[in-house]
Amino acid sequence: MIDAHLLVSGVIFGLSIGSIYFLMTIGLSLCFGLMRIISLDQLLYYSLGAYLTYSISLATGSLWLGVLGGVVVAAVVSRAVERLIFQRIYQRELTFSMITSFGILIGGVGVIKYFWGLVPRPVAVPIAAQVDVLGTAVPAYRLVVIAIALAVYAGIWLFLHRTIIGKAIRAGIEDAEHVEGLGINVHRLFTLTFVIAGALSGLAGALHAPLIMVDPQMGLEVLAFAFMVVIIGGLGSIKGTLISSLIVGQVISLGSLIYAPLAQMAPFAVMLLILLVRPTGLYGSSLVKR
Amino acid sequence: MSTASAGMTVRRSKAAGGIRASAARLFAWWWDLLLAFSLLGLLRFVAPLPFLNEVIIFSIYTIGCNFLLGRVGFISFGQPAYLAVGAYATAFYLYYFGTNPYLGILIGLGAGMAVTLLVGPLFVRLRSDYFALVNLALAVIIYYLMQKVLADITHGDNGLWFLTQISSTPVLDLSRPDQFFVFACIVGLAVWAFYKYLDDSIFGACCLAAKLNDDKLKFLGYSNYGIRLLAFVIANSTTALAGAMYAVYLGFVSPEITSPARAADPVVVTILGGAGTLYGPIVGSLAYTGMKDLISRVMVNWELVVGFLIVFIMLAGEQGIWGTLQPRLKKLFTRRRKSSGGGEQ
Repeated sequence: MIDAHLLVSGVIFGLSIGSIYFLMTIGLSLCFGLMRIISLDQLLYYSLGAYLTYSISLATGSLWLGVLGGVVVAAVVSRAVERLIFQRIYQRELTFSMITSFGILIGGVGVIKYFWGLVPRPVAVPIAAQVDVLGTAVPAYRLVVIAIALAVYAGIWLFLHRTIIGKAIRAGIEDAEHVEGLGINVHRLFTLTFVIAGALSGLAGALHAPLIMVDPQMGLEVLAFAFMVVIIGGLGSIKGTLISSLIVGQVISLGSLIYAPLAQMAPFAVMLLILLVRPTGLYGSSLVKR
Repeated sequence: MSTASAGMTVRRSKAAGGIRASAARLFAWWWDLLLAFSLLGLLRFVAPLPFLNEVIIFSIYTIGCNFLLGRVGFISFGQPAYLAVGAYATAFYLYYFGTNPYLGILIGLGAGMAVTLLVGPLFVRLRSDYFALVNLALAVIIYYLMQKVLADITHGDNGLWFLTQISSTPVLDLSRPDQFFVFACIVGLAVWAFYKYLDDSIFGACCLAAKLNDDKLKFLGYSNYGIRLLAFVIANSTTALAGAMYAVYLGFVSPEITSPARAADPVVVTILGGAGTLYGPIVGSLAYTGMKDLISRVMVNWELVVGFLIVFIMLAGEQGIWGTLQPRLKKLFTRRRKSSGGGEQ
């Protein structure tokens, strides 16, 4: 039987991993919901966020300044990419955006390699303190990550349900043409959503940086997990993304407690099982195309 | 190009006897296939052999993806999964059991077929976006399976080396690159003839119909599910065949073959060559492999160039190289034939 201390730290570990996956995939999910694109380049903003956190925290000594810088740069870059590339392909098929964004991701990895080189870099953990949870010492930084993810979820929920723009976005997810018919500039909504998505991906990378080494391939390494989270949750659903990222986080961390290779394998088995029962994921909508 | 010339030859030979007519029809059907592969064979004298072997295997790898994307409307980011299945089945056989490379390739093909038959019924039910993602997930599962879980058998990241264990066979000795090239050309010709036949058949028409309009196909009395499953099995068995050929050619297999970073390769080559065109995969692989070779010779950072090239190709047009070239060549050929009274062949 698993030791209780191990179990508590395992659950906390899973929650923090799940929080980061949530921040990372909410962009993918929002973009699919509103624009009907699959934007793999979110993982580029994730890597960018991590790398800027590394550079800025090295220069200034403050991780939180680095996180801020990462988020801002991720938002700016995603705005530029949206303007230059995505505005030309919103009208095309879904597969089209998938391949184009994969090209952006690969090209971006090349840019990162050009600036930062191939060697993985460590980022110092800002809060070294341990917190006592149910008699087990847990790194406080992981709790902070979980808190930030919860705050972001609450913030997005409030934004989508309590502001006019958020309501317009939700209406756009239902039917973008109707929203356009009401005289709302849908393309401005698209830009806003894309930038929010990019910034959140950047935040995910920035927060993840102290927990892992930053290296040029990091975006490609989490690609499969990001896919998995959106598939299990159902493309386009924010609540589904939250729940599935928590599930995936727990499966990874508790799976690795039982048998180490399970950390990579078990989530995929869970995904196949869920797809067997529900082909569109837990909260996926059944609508196919706009 | 082919249909126009077929019409010409058939019309001309109608007056002559039945045998000549059928021979002409046979030639009209085969001539572009033979031309394509003899051109590839001629490249032997200008391009290095490893490059050409790579191109042919890569084309076979890509045609499965091309068929799925261009004819059935499925985009699959998980082609490396099936490639790895073929490669590892062949590698297991050659490393642990036998020495005959031909048998190894057959085993790889069989294993690919078995795995696709296993996962196909589940996968083809999914919507196209989920289909793409689930295939990628399968590729990742196989990657970790080969790298970590089955490390005792697969030797993890070190891979299996069995080049010296491949026995030399009579007629075509696959352990020698130059004879492997001849073999690869023959296999390629067979695969392309098969796909050309599929394009002409009712099944090919059904696949295209499944891509364009699901409901109408159902209305005509065909089973959507059956057609998709068959197309899935055919395409991915071809991919497994490419994997088996890789294994025999390189004499080495490692988990790198199914790494997620290379998942988009076949899709990119398909688009680059022109999705849904018969010769797109060959043109695409030639361009892609050549480009990668040249770029990596000049700079280490090939991702930068390839990535932005993908974006550029996607924005410039979805026809691909062959897709843009083909109508022009056709126009050129028909015009010249008209002016010279059909004497061109």
